[in-house]
Amino acid sequence: MNVIGRLIRESGKFKVGLVITLILITLSLLSDWLVRWRIGDVEPMKAGTYAIFLDPNSENWLGTDRFGRDVLAMVFAALPVSLTVAFMAGLLSTAMGVIVGFVSGYKGGRTDAFLRTITDMLIVIPTLPLVIILAANTRSLGSVKLALVLAVFSWPFAARVIRTQVMSLRERPYIELARISDMPDRSIIFGEILPNMAPFVAIGFAQASVGSAFALVGLTVIGLGPSSQMDLGRLISEALGYGVISMGKELIFIAPVFCLIMLFYGLALMSQGMEEFFNPRLRSGS
Amino acid sequence: METDVEKVQSMGNEPPHEDKERTARVSPTTAYVMRRFGLYLITLWGSLTASFFFFRLLPGDPVRAYVAQLQQRGSTTTFESSEAMLAHYQKEFGLYGSLFSQYINYFRRLLFHFDLGPSVLSYPTPAIDLITRALPWTIGLIGVATLMGWLFGMLLGTLVGWNRNRTWAEVVTNGALGFSHLPAYFVALFLIIFLSYRWRLLPPNGAFNTALNPEWSMEFILSVIRYGTLPVLATVIVAVANWMLSTRALVVSILGEDYLTFAGAKGLPASRILSAYVLRNAWLPQIAALGMALGGVVSGNVLIERLFRYPGVGSLLIDSVMVKDVNTAMAIVSILIILVLTINLIIDLILPLIDPRVKLTGAGG
Repeated sequence: MNVIGRLIRESGKFKVGLVITLILITLSLLSDWLVRWRIGDVEPMKAGTYAIFLDPNSENWLGTDRFGRDVLAMVFAALPVSLTVAFMAGLLSTAMGVIVGFVSGYKGGRTDAFLRTITDMLIVIPTLPLVIILAANTRSLGSVKLALVLAVFSWPFAARVIRTQVMSLRERPYIELARISDMPDRSIIFGEILPNMAPFVAIGFAQASVGSAFALVGLTVIGLGPSSQMDLGRLISEALGYGVISMGKELIFIAPVFCLIMLFYGLALMSQGMEEFFNPRLRSGS
Repeated sequence: METDVEKVQSMGNEPPHEDKERTARVSPTTAYVMRRFGLYLITLWGSLTASFFFFRLLPGDPVRAYVAQLQQRGSTTTFESSEAMLAHYQKEFGLYGSLFSQYINYFRRLLFHFDLGPSVLSYPTPAIDLITRALPWTIGLIGVATLMGWLFGMLLGTLVGWNRNRTWAEVVTNGALGFSHLPAYFVALFLIIFLSYRWRLLPPNGAFNTALNPEWSMEFILSVIRYGTLPVLATVIVAVANWMLSTRALVVSILGEDYLTFAGAKGLPASRILSAYVLRNAWLPQIAALGMALGGVVSGNVLIERLFRYPGVGSLLIDSVMVKDVNTAMAIVSILIILVLTINLIIDLILPLIDPRVKLTGAGG
């Protein structure tokens, strides 16, 4: 707790990122209530509630879309879907990355060489086409499955961060001492290394969430998102689909784009702030 | 595919068996090239194998769907039964027999005939033909955007790092920080809104004016440049920001080195320090980073092409995915993998020639 307090006090980037992320999380938690506040007990995705293509007015603050739906209410309803998938995918890929990075960095030798070749391979080859193909061929992809798909392709980035850290921790005197005194591997990993890894796991999580959100939006923008629910990317792809740009009605997709950009910034600033704080060599650079 | 950090770290401590290596029959350069090439073959085989099984494990049977579609259309066929027809097309698309024999068949076709099977979308055109038609557009787009982004980013990053205590440098750095976290397709959206619709400066989609004949005329080339400006710009803006930030970090850490203090103390002019000491040390690791970044660029480019309806492999990929043309999609993925890995190989082979710090113990070790 103490460390987090110091992190917030000392890193402006982390503070700003944390505030942005917390605002988005709060908005998603209040989603149902916010939708009701704006449009009452109407299903936000139901067509024909209002007149179509209304400009922003006192009732529809961001106007309405082609189907006469309130844009702001749709954004409120879609935000939690995008956030859930991004965080879930971030969590899953961090878990995978931590396991692979750990084994790779701790075992070293052949195991490390093998796992590293696979990690590097997944970083070097373009994986988004595979995600697109998988999403298109799996009918009615729920948000959990989608998160899993995104995680499968984004864990290498977390694995790389963790591996480097484990490698450097492994050489520290207190770990060697533990090893010399015949401490079992399990105790060394859970008792000595893991507690010191926490910040880097957090950094890995933030980076993996950004990465997953990137891929998620990429998928939904071309119309391949979670099929049952409306998320922010789908709002954008729908609006683009019926040509809002040529009509000059960009406001319909500016709001979801803005939310997503805030999500990217919040997470990226947090991870950068943490990296600079826990890795003093980077701090001198900025 | 060694990371820069490790390269720099391995500089200092020479392994004790250095002398033995020098007297060995194989020169270190040959050994490095062979090792790196071996790694290339292994990664290539590994990723193509992974992608093969990825496609075979996808749910749904594209051939059955295609045959059903043919029958629905009521095309006249010379086949006795729908089973015979199914078998024929399964053979055509390389989906016949056990998974293992399909796998052998896939590699045999690819290696000896450079054949990736016919496209389902426009049967019987080979998928490779569709790709050859689309690939120049994609390579042009990615090539121009990557090189421009890398060059401008490097130059700006060096400038900003050199002047890191000035206010303007601070402002530029923060601006780049803002752009570096944007996906290129969001930048593309805003470019389309303002440059094509509001101010009507550039066309919002396509690759050239369709009224012109595709030929090597000045008019056609100018049209290609005009239509390519927006998609390239979208990628370049984000790329410049990212390369600028990483170059700046490198330059700032180089500026703290002792040899720079010494260079300054012995009275070398700033321009000489900048070009011979700073730039030279900063741009070499960035070449290695270029290869690692390529996969991300190719991925992002798929969305950019889709958004601008650019006739490259990205658009072709999405088109074929939408109609369940697994064969073409798989061919595209294979080609992209081969392309990206080969460029990485070339970069890694060139690097030791121009960067004396890269030790030839190299790849994977």
